Amino acid sequence: MRVDAYEKVTGKALYGADRVLPGMAFAALALARTGRGRLISVDTSAAAAVPGVLAVETHFDLASPGFVMGGGFGFQSLQPMTDDHIAYRGQPIAIVVAETPVAATEAAEAITAEYEDEPTALHLDSEGATTLVQEEAIPLPFLADLKVGDADAVIDASPVTIEGTYEHPPQHAVPMELNGGVVHWDGDTLIVHEGTQNANALRFGLAQQLGIDAANIEVRSPYVGGGFGQKNSLLVHIGPLALVSKRLGRPVKLVLARTQTFHNGSFRPASRQRIRLGADETGKITAAVHEVDQQTSRHDLFPAMHTETSARLYGLSAYRGRQRLVQTDVQTPGYMRAPFESPSMFAFEQVVDELAYKVGRDPVELRLANDTDTDPISGLPFSTRYVADCLRRGAELFGWSGRNPEPRSMRADDGSLIGWGVAIGNYPCNTAATNATLTAGEDGRVTVAVDGHEMGQGIRSTIALHVAQDLGIPVGDVVVQVGDTTVGTQHLTAGSWGTASALPSVHSGLRELRKHLDVADTGDVEVAPAVAAVGHAVTVHADSVGPGQPADALAQSMTGHLAITGPEYPGFVTFSWIAHFVEVRVEPTTCRIRVPRVVSVADCGRVASPVTAASQVRGGVIWGIGAALREESMVDDRFGGFVNSTLEEYPVMVNADVHSIDVDFIDKPDYRYNPVGVKGLGEVSMVGAAAAVANAVHHATGRRHYRLPIRIEHVI
Amino acid sequence: MSTNDLPATTVEVTCTINGDPVRLTLDPRESLLDVLRERLALTGTKKGCDQGHCGACTVHLGGRRVVSCLTPAVQAAGQDIHTIESVAGPDGGLHPLQQAFVDNDALQCGYCTPGQIMSGLACIAEGHMADDDQIREYLSGNVCRCGAYCGIVAAVRQVAGMTQEG
Amino acid sequence: MRPFAYAAPGSVDDAVAVLRDAVPGTKILAGGTTLYDLMKLGVEAPPAVVDVLRLPELAGITVTDSELVFGAGVRMADVSDHPVVRADYPALAESIWRAASQQLRNMATLGGNLLQRTRCGYFRGTDFACNKRNPGSGCAAIEGHDRHHALLGASSLCSATYAGDFAIALRAFDAVVDVVGPRGERPIALADLHVEPGEDPSREHVLDVDELIVRIRVPLTPAGRGSTYLKIRDRESYAFALASAAVGLVIDGQGVVTESRIALGGVATRPWRAVEAEQSLLGQPLTAESARRAGEIAFADARPGRTNRFRIELGIRTVADAVRTAGERAVR
Repeated sequence: MRVDAYEKVTGKALYGADRVLPGMAFAALALARTGRGRLISVDTSAAAAVPGVLAVETHFDLASPGFVMGGGFGFQSLQPMTDDHIAYRGQPIAIVVAETPVAATEAAEAITAEYEDEPTALHLDSEGATTLVQEEAIPLPFLADLKVGDADAVIDASPVTIEGTYEHPPQHAVPMELNGGVVHWDGDTLIVHEGTQNANALRFGLAQQLGIDAANIEVRSPYVGGGFGQKNSLLVHIGPLALVSKRLGRPVKLVLARTQTFHNGSFRPASRQRIRLGADETGKITAAVHEVDQQTSRHDLFPAMHTETSARLYGLSAYRGRQRLVQTDVQTPGYMRAPFESPSMFAFEQVVDELAYKVGRDPVELRLANDTDTDPISGLPFSTRYVADCLRRGAELFGWSGRNPEPRSMRADDGSLIGWGVAIGNYPCNTAATNATLTAGEDGRVTVAVDGHEMGQGIRSTIALHVAQDLGIPVGDVVVQVGDTTVGTQHLTAGSWGTASALPSVHSGLRELRKHLDVADTGDVEVAPAVAAVGHAVTVHADSVGPGQPADALAQSMTGHLAITGPEYPGFVTFSWIAHFVEVRVEPTTCRIRVPRVVSVADCGRVASPVTAASQVRGGVIWGIGAALREESMVDDRFGGFVNSTLEEYPVMVNADVHSIDVDFIDKPDYRYNPVGVKGLGEVSMVGAAAAVANAVHHATGRRHYRLPIRIEHVI
Repeated sequence: MSTNDLPATTVEVTCTINGDPVRLTLDPRESLLDVLRERLALTGTKKGCDQGHCGACTVHLGGRRVVSCLTPAVQAAGQDIHTIESVAGPDGGLHPLQQAFVDNDALQCGYCTPGQIMSGLACIAEGHMADDDQIREYLSGNVCRCGAYCGIVAAVRQVAGMTQEG
Repeated sequence: MRPFAYAAPGSVDDAVAVLRDAVPGTKILAGGTTLYDLMKLGVEAPPAVVDVLRLPELAGITVTDSELVFGAGVRMADVSDHPVVRADYPALAESIWRAASQQLRNMATLGGNLLQRTRCGYFRGTDFACNKRNPGSGCAAIEGHDRHHALLGASSLCSATYAGDFAIALRAFDAVVDVVGPRGERPIALADLHVEPGEDPSREHVLDVDELIVRIRVPLTPAGRGSTYLKIRDRESYAFALASAAVGLVIDGQGVVTESRIALGGVATRPWRAVEAEQSLLGQPLTAESARRAGEIAFADARPGRTNRFRIELGIRTVADAVRTAGERAVR
C-alpha cells in the first residue's frame, strides 16, 4: 500500500507551488533569446509600466552555488543574472514580480534585450565543441577509465568480434510538477517551498549564494511531483526569488513555464557509445571495449559514468573503458533517470544480441552462459547477483521458448511482424549517510523523520511499512516526515539509494527506540502502554553510513554535501539487476511499432514495499519504451537551446501507448549491503528496457537501429 | 454594444464551484486554473504545462471535463464547476474511483492524480469504458510521467464495472 | 498576454453587430483551445475578443433528408458520440475522437476547430522568423525542423501544415459551411474555406474578420457508411498527424467502386482532396494494388523538405490502408 495515497487522490497533498500565502506576489522570468553571447542591454521600461508590477530585476548580487558534482550545490555553477554572459538559449535575463500572474507574465514578455552573438556548438560533432578526456579533465579516482587486462589485444585475438557505434539523443525528464515554488521570509529566516530531491542542497546552496547562515534557511518539500533527477540540486531561479521576496517583504511564487523548464534544469546529455566485443565460438565473451563521448556544458564538467555498469554486466577477462566529455553551449546536463546506464545498455545489450545471432545462440542462453559472480573490475564478489534468475523466470513468464529466432519469422493475425527481444540491466548500489529521528508518542503513534524525499517512488510508504512491521503496529500509526530540513538533514535522494540508505537508519533507530521504551529487541510492541510506562514521549536519534564509509560522511551531509559511497565496498561489490522481455508488433503497412506486452524481473534485494516497487518497475519500463520509440530533445543549430520544449513536441508516453507490463521480483535480501537487505530499484527498472525494445524491433524487422528514438521513418 | 465601449480591465462573473456560489471580478486574461489555484486556494487542480498538453488541470465545467489552463475564467460565467476537492464525501470518505486509485496503486508522485481522477470520472460518465483500449484512449489526455497507466486503467475499469453491474 | 476587451453577446445578431463595429484585430473566441492558447504564447494579441461559445443558435446536431447539420458551436466531443454520425459517417466520428484529447474536444467547437491554426513550432515560438505570424519576416522552418511540415500546397514562404482532423473528413464529403456577417449569410464550400499560403501565409481562410461560422452541412451520401479516418502519429493518442486520410467508398454488387472520396490530413497546408486518386479507384474492383496506386497518385505532386520525405511513403501507405478499411465497410 501507499501511505500517502489518500492525500494524493483527494488533492490535499501540498506540492511546492500549492502554497497560497497572504500577500503573495507572483514572479515570471524573461529568458535569453540567443544561443550564446554577451548581453549588451536589457530594456525593462515597458515591463515596469505594466499595471500591477512590483519589481523588475536584471542583476543580482549572488554567489555561484557551485556545481553539485564539483563540491557545490547547484545543477550548474553558472548563476544567471549575475553578469552579462549568456551561455545558452533560455538562460534567465530578468525576473518580474507583480500582484497577479497575468501581470507578471505580461511584463516578462515585454522585456527586450540586445545581444552580441557568439557562435554556438550544440552537438557532439559541432565545430567549436571541445572534447576532453575525462580522466585528465577531472583527475578523481572514481572517474578514472576502467581497465582490466589488455582488452584490445584479447578482442583482436578472439575468433568472434562485434563492433557497433550507438547514438543516444539528449532527453528531458519533464516531471509533471513544473519547477518553481514559493519563498518567503519570517524575519531573518528564509523559507522555501519547492519540489526538490535535495532540500539539503537548496538550504546550503542558498546560504552560500546569499551569504547567510544555513541555520536561517528552511526548505520544505514533503511531496515532489516527480523528480527523475531533474530536481536533484539547487536551480537557478530560487536565489533571485529569495532576494526579491526579501526586498518586497512579501511571499513570492514562481512557477516556470513548461518551455522554461527545458532550459532551467538539467537534462540527459547526448552520448555516443562505441562498443567492441570479443568472444569465442560459443558466444562466451572474452573482452569488451566501451568508449563514450558525452555532452557537457562549457561551464561544468558533468562526469560520464557509462562504463561503470557495462564493465560489470558479464564475466569478462579484460575490459577497457574510455570516457570523454564534449563541451557544448547548453545548460549543464545531469542525472535523468538511469542517466548513463540506460544509454549504455541500449548500446551494449544490442551488441550482445548481435553476438547471439552471430554465434547462433539463443540470446537468453548466451547471457546465462556469460554470467559471473565476480566483478571483473575489482575481482571482488558481488554481494548478490541474481540476474540469471531474473532471466530464467522472465523467460518462463514471457513464454520465451516459443520464440523463433529467425528475424521476420513471427507474424500476428493482422499481418503485423512480431518481435521478441530480451536485455538485462544493472545499476550501482550506492549508499548515502543518513540520520533518523524516531518519536514514540503517548497516543501510540510513531513519528519518523529521516533523510529522504517522496517523489513518487514510495519512500514514505516503505519506511512506514518497515516501522509498522518491526513494531507490530498498524501502518496508519506511523508518521513519516521527509523532504523537510526542519526535521532532518535531507541529503539528496537520487541514484536509487534513497530507501536503501534511509531504512538502515530507521532500522537502527528502532533498536534504539525499543531500548528506551524498555521493550524486547524484537516482537510486537504495545507502543502507548510502553510510552506511558516511561512517562513521556520517547525520542531517539540514529544514523547510518554505507559499508566501510567513514563516519565523517555524516558531517559532510550536514553541511549540504553529497555523502555517498559504493558500489565497491570493502570485500564486495553491489549492483541491482533486471531482465526485460519485450514483444513489439510492427504494423504491416504503416509500420507503427507497438509494445503489447513486457515482462520484467528484478533483483533489488529484499522487496521492502511490494506494491510501490511493482509500480516503480512499470514506470521504469515505460521510460525505457519512451526512450526507445519516442523521446528526443531537438536542437536547431541556428538558435541554440532545445526547440521541442513542450509536452506536445516532446512526446512522452501516453496511456494508449501502454499495455501489459508484468513485473516480478527475485526478492532475496542482500544483508552484506545493508542490515535490511534492500537494494535500489527505481533506476534499474529502466536499464536495458530500451535495448530490449530495440532487440525486439530487430527480431521483428531484421534491422538493427543504432540511434534512438526508433521512429516510423526508421522502419517504414 | 461595441468592443470599443468595453472596459478592458475586468469582468464580473458568477458561477458555482464545488456547489458554492462564487462571485469573481476577473481580468479576462485569467485562466480558470489560476483563478482556482491562486484566488480560491483550490490547489488540488495542478499546473503541469499551462498549454493543454498534459491534463493535470482537468476539472468539470458544466458537467464536462475540460482543461482549466486553456479555459478563460470568464467562460465559467453561469457554470457549475467541480474540482478534485469536491469528489470525496463531506466526511472525507473516498469516492469509489478514488478508492480504486488507492487499491490499484494508480499513482506514484501524485501530481497528475487529481486530473486523472477528474478525467476518469468523466470517462465513466460519458460511457467511454467499453474495454481497456477505449479507457486508454479516453484517458490519453492525462499524461503521467511516473507511468502509473496500468493502475489507472485498472482503477477506471473496476469502477466502470461496478457502475454497469449496479 | 496583453490586456484585451471582452464581450459576450447573447445572440448571433448581437455578435455580428459587435464584430461589425469592433476595433481592428478583434478576434472571435469560442472554445479557446486555439485562440486563448496562442494569446498565452504571444502569437495572437487581439485588442478585443467576442465570445461566441454559448450562443444558442450555434448549438445542435440535426439530420435532415439530405444533410447532416452541425451547429458551429457544437463541441467536438458531441460529434463523435452522436449515434447517426457514428453509424453512417464513421470517418467523421473517427476524425474527432482521434483528435486532441477528450478534455479539448469538450471545449473546442466545430467552427473553431475548422479554423484551428498550425502547430508549426516556429509559428508558435515567437522567437523565430515566421511569415505567417509576422509577414515578411521569413520562414525559420525551411532550414529547420520540418519533419511535420507540409508536403502538398506549400509555397516558398510557408510550409506549415494544417493540423486539424475534422476538416479533412468534411472535405471528403463535400461539406459546406454557412457564415454570417454584416452583409448577411453566405455558404462556403469547405473546399473553398481554407487557402494555401501562396504569397500571404498570414491568410489561412476566406472569412472576413467580421464573419462567423454558424453551421456546417454535410450532404448525405452512402459513401459515409463506407468511410474511415486513419491517422498515423508519433504516439498512439493525443498527437497531431504525421499523415492521415479520410476515405469514403461505395461499392456495387459486382464489387466495383462506384463512388470514391479521398482527403488527406497532416500533409498539406490546407485540407487536401485527392481527386485523381479517387478517380483511379472508380469503375474497378478494389485490390491491394489499386489501393496502393491511389496513394501514389495522391502524393504524386508531394514536395518534401529536408527531413520529411518519409511522410510521402507513409502517406501513400496511410491512404492504401484507409482505402482498404473503407472498402470493407462500404455499402454493397
